[in-house]
Amino acid sequence: MSVGKEFTKGLYAENPVFKQALGLCPTLAVSNSVRNAVGMGLAMTFVLVLSNIIVSLIRRFVPRKIRIPIYIVVIATFVTIVDLVMAGFAPDLHKALGIFVPLIVVNCIILGRAEAFAGRNSVFRSLLDGLGMGFGFSLALFVLAFIREILGDGRLYGFPLLGPGFEPMLIMILPPGAFLTIGLLMGLMNWLDKRRCS
Amino acid sequence: MELKTLLIISVSAIFINNFIFSRFLGLCPYIGVSKALDSAVGMGMAVIFVMTLASSVAWVVDHFLLEPTTSNLFYHLLRLKTPPDLVFLKTIAFILVIASLVQFVEMVIQKTSPALYKALGIYLPLITTNCAILGVTLLNLDMGLNFIGSVVQGFTSGLGFTLALVLMASIRERLELADVPRPMRGIPIAFIMAGLMAIAFLGFSGLKIR
Amino acid sequence: MKDVLRMAWILGVVTVLAAAVLGAVNHVAKPRIEEQRRLALEQALLSALPKADPRAIVPVYEGDEIVYYKGYAQPDTTGLVGYAFVARGAGYSSEIETLVGVDTTGQIIGLKILREVETPGLGTKIEEVRYGEKDPWFQRQFIGKRARQLAVDKDGGEIVSVTGATISSRAVTNSIRKGLEELEKRLGGFSKTAQQVSD
Repeated sequence: MSVGKEFTKGLYAENPVFKQALGLCPTLAVSNSVRNAVGMGLAMTFVLVLSNIIVSLIRRFVPRKIRIPIYIVVIATFVTIVDLVMAGFAPDLHKALGIFVPLIVVNCIILGRAEAFAGRNSVFRSLLDGLGMGFGFSLALFVLAFIREILGDGRLYGFPLLGPGFEPMLIMILPPGAFLTIGLLMGLMNWLDKRRCS
Repeated sequence: MELKTLLIISVSAIFINNFIFSRFLGLCPYIGVSKALDSAVGMGMAVIFVMTLASSVAWVVDHFLLEPTTSNLFYHLLRLKTPPDLVFLKTIAFILVIASLVQFVEMVIQKTSPALYKALGIYLPLITTNCAILGVTLLNLDMGLNFIGSVVQGFTSGLGFTLALVLMASIRERLELADVPRPMRGIPIAFIMAGLMAIAFLGFSGLKIR
Repeated sequence: MKDVLRMAWILGVVTVLAAAVLGAVNHVAKPRIEEQRRLALEQALLSALPKADPRAIVPVYEGDEIVYYKGYAQPDTTGLVGYAFVARGAGYSSEIETLVGVDTTGQIIGLKILREVETPGLGTKIEEVRYGEKDPWFQRQFIGKRARQLAVDKDGGEIVSVTGATISSRAVTNSIRKGLEELEKRLGGFSKTAQQVSD
C-alpha cells in the first residue's frame, strides 16, 4: 500500500466511526456541540498518533502474551497527559467533556490500531495511520456535531446562526438525536457507496 | 449512606441516566452483541458481575492508594509528612484494576463453575475495553460516592445496561423478519431503534420535550 | 513459571515508567490546574460581589472548611459590602454549585454557577444567554431577591423556571434559599434595611 494511502484510508474508506462502527461512545456523547467535538477530536488524534508511534517503536521487544496490557498502559499514559494538560490550559473544555477524556483509554479505535497496525508496521507508517484515523474520527464527530448543534440549538460553535426566530429541534441535542443522526448518516453512506459501485 | 439516597442512585442509574440511552457508555457491545436474545442476556450478566466488582475494588484502590487523605497507605508505609495526592493516576490504576479483575474472574469461574463459564466465558475478554466499566468507576469517583454508594451504583448501572441490551435484542430478533430498506439494514437501523428507545427513556425523567 | 515471572517483571517496569512520566507531567501541570481553579473562583467571587475590591474578599473558616466569604470595598478590608457563599443542590444529573453574593441586608446582588453537568439543551439553560443579551436570563431573576421570595413558579414562587428543566431550576433556587438561611443563622441575622427599621 502506498504511504499516502495509510493516511487517507482513515478519512472515508476505513473511517473508524462510520465504516467500522468503533469509538461510538464518545462520538455520540460529545457531538452535542461543535466546540466539544473539535476538542475531543484533537485529544483523540494526539493519543492515537503518539500511542501508535510508541507501540511501533517497542513492537520488537514486547512479549506477545502481554502485549495488550502493555499497549493499555502506553495508551493510558498519553490519555492522562491529555487530561492533565486540558485541565490546566482549557478548563472549560475539560469540564464539558467530563469523563469522556479519561475514557479515551477504552476507545476501541486506539487499542484496535495498536493491535492491528502499529504493532506490525514501521514507525512512519504507524504515525500516518494514527493521523488518518484521528482525522477520520474528528471528521465524523464534526459532521455529527454540525448537524446536531444547528438543528438542535440554532447555533454553530456557540454562535447564534439561525437567529431568534428559529425554534430549535431540542430532540437533536438530547441523546436520541445522536442515535437518529448517526443511523441516518450511516444509511446514507451505504446508499451512496452502492450507487457508486453500480 | 441513607436508604433514600441509594434508592435515588438506583432509579437514576437504571432509568433516568441509563448507561446506553443517556450516558452513551458501552455502545460497542450494545451494537455488536444485541443481535440475539440469549447472547444479550449472557453479556448483561457478565457486565453486571464485573461492574459491581470493579466499583468496589476501584473504590478501595482510590481510597487507600490515590486520595490525599490520612487513610492513604503510602502515607503510612513510606512515613511521608503529608498524604500524597495520586489522583492523577486514576485512569491508569482503574484500567489495570479492571483488566486484572477480568482475567482473575475468568480464571476463578473456569475452575469453580464450568456451567457459569460456559455462559459468561466468551463475553469476559470483551469487557476490558467496554467503556461502561471504566465509566462507572470514574463516575463513582466524580460523584464522590462512598463504598456502599459505589457498589450500588455499579450494580444498578449494570442492570440498566442489561435492560437496554435485552430490549434491543428482542426488537432486533423481530426486525430480522421486517422489510427494512437495504442501505439501512444492520447497524443503521439498530441506531434508529436505539434513538426511538432513547426517546421513550426520556419519559422517565419527567421532562417535557417541546 | 520463569516465563510468567519475566512477563510480570516487564509489565511492572513498563507501569513504573509510565507512572514516572505521569508524575513529571503532573508536577508541571498541577500548579497550572490549581491556578485555573483559583482564577475561576476569583472571577466568580467578583461577579457575586461586584462592588467588592478583588483583593479584599476574605474567606471565613469553620474548622478547615470555608463557610462563606466577606467582601469589602477597600483593599484594607474596610467598608463591608456583603457576603458570598457556595450553594449546593442536587440537580437532574449532577450537583449544581452556585456562588451567591448578598449585601449586608441579605439581598442577592450577584451569582455565578460554578459547576453543573445537566442535560445539554435543557438543564444547561440555567446558564443560557439569550440572543442579543449579556447575562443569563435565568440567573438575572435572583438579583434583588431575599430568601423568602425564593421558590420556582411551580412551587408558587417568583422564579420563572427553565422550560423542561424544572428539576435543575428548583435545585438552584432551593439551594440558594437554604444557603441564605444558613448564612443568616451564622451571622445572627442580617442588618436591617431602612424600610424594615421604619416599620
